[in-house]
Amino acid sequence: MTSPHEWGARLTEHLTDAGIDAREAHRLAADSLAEAEDAGQDPAALYGPAVTYASTIAHTIRAATVGFAPLGRVRGPVVLRLSQVTKRYRRRTVLRGVDLTLCGGEVAAVVGANGSGKSTLLNICAGVTRATGGTVERSPRVGYAPQQHGVAPLLTAAEHFHLFGAVHGMSGRESEAIGAQLSQQLGWRPRPHVIAAHLSGGTQQKLNVVLSELSRPDLILLDEPYQGFDQDSYIDFWDQVYKWRDAGAGVLVVTHLLHDLERVDHLVELPRVDES
Amino acid sequence: MTLLMTVAVTSLRELTRRRAALFFVFFLPLVFFLARIDVPWQALRFLALGVGWAIATLALFSHVGARSLDHGLCVIGASPTALFFGRQLAIITTGLAMASVYFVLVAATQDVPRLPAVALLLITTVLVSAPLGALVSLVVPRELEGALALLSIMALQLLVDPSDAATKLLPLWSTRELSAYAIEPVGADSLYRGMTHFVIALTASVLIAWAASVLRLRPVRLEAPAAT
Repeated sequence: MTSPHEWGARLTEHLTDAGIDAREAHRLAADSLAEAEDAGQDPAALYGPAVTYASTIAHTIRAATVGFAPLGRVRGPVVLRLSQVTKRYRRRTVLRGVDLTLCGGEVAAVVGANGSGKSTLLNICAGVTRATGGTVERSPRVGYAPQQHGVAPLLTAAEHFHLFGAVHGMSGRESEAIGAQLSQQLGWRPRPHVIAAHLSGGTQQKLNVVLSELSRPDLILLDEPYQGFDQDSYIDFWDQVYKWRDAGAGVLVVTHLLHDLERVDHLVELPRVDES
Repeated sequence: MTLLMTVAVTSLRELTRRRAALFFVFFLPLVFFLARIDVPWQALRFLALGVGWAIATLALFSHVGARSLDHGLCVIGASPTALFFGRQLAIITTGLAMASVYFVLVAATQDVPRLPAVALLLITTVLVSAPLGALVSLVVPRELEGALALLSIMALQLLVDPSDAATKLLPLWSTRELSAYAIEPVGADSLYRGMTHFVIALTASVLIAWAASVLRLRPVRLEAPAAT
């Protein structure tokens, strides 16, 4: 049986891990303990496990923050234009005639079954893979979160921020501050001295997503970035995507999940293309 | 320059966190040295080749391990050149630290007539081995296959008769001349031949590895969207 004091300490810890300011976390935990005491109940019985309750509180706070400060949606210039993009590997056609025009302030989702070429399309947009046919025009200021190997296992989150920030001439302090702020929006607080290999799969993906947005790019390319996310993080992720959109960025998300797609501006559905 | 130094510092931190790998990297040359300690010139040459092998292997794994991350960095605008030389700087720093330790070991245990030449031997070996490992990682882009390719080169370097003219094609042939210059009563010819070979091997390794790195990492050039 967890004592109320221990439950409160865990709640504080989970709240700070979820990106809530330490003083605010202490205050929330103290309030929760006081309410449980007033109700004459054990806090674990009243609110459930500290980790679950912390996640609920953190999500509510972040949702309220979004509500208080809505950003006006602005459609900007075209950041990505695909015209009849085709990709073949030897005799096998992976993509055939893909068209898309994505402006700043818009979200596009790329959906399709396994093997339909979703990741290939994202890699073509990133410039990692060359299209066999068609044209690709893309803004040079791009953020990119690949599905795998987006982070270095032996580096801490802060070192990732330094490295990715240095590409755009940011100082270490500047990139670390932006990285910490973006992490907080995804419900995560990077701990110093913890290397990426020691983070959970979901938290590694959060780091991957944060790195894609670190330089405030015009276009953000995300390849199924929510793998390993829990339900709240998944919701936070989509909230974040729409915040980037509202701030004027174009966002291209590869996904195989079909819910949450009613709000996207463009849906690119890739059929499985058989051997030709 | 900022990116290059940041890459070097983060790579160095990554390397220092692979403690078991670093232990074996430091241990390998010691084994080579001790195996031939009764024959001073061979002990010195084997020590240098051990250092070379260890550093080349470290470079191989470092470059292969960083490839996916480097691809991502290049997509967002990083210079492949800065990434390549940043990682090389980290490996060379590690190599020079190792060379310093072994220089002290040689100075303390061997009666070497030209001790500064030992330092030159170890430094030149480190400087050639770092781009050599990178080069192998770019030609054979998988860890196991790359390690086997490096093993073949180094085994050849160790086993062939160094007086054979064809062995000059091997990247660390200079170790033979420089170790002879350090220990034996030979003239400056050995030093000249060793340094000439070193400069050629270093230039070729760096240029080819750098060019291969840029070719591998450089993203497809995409035009900015035309305003419509």
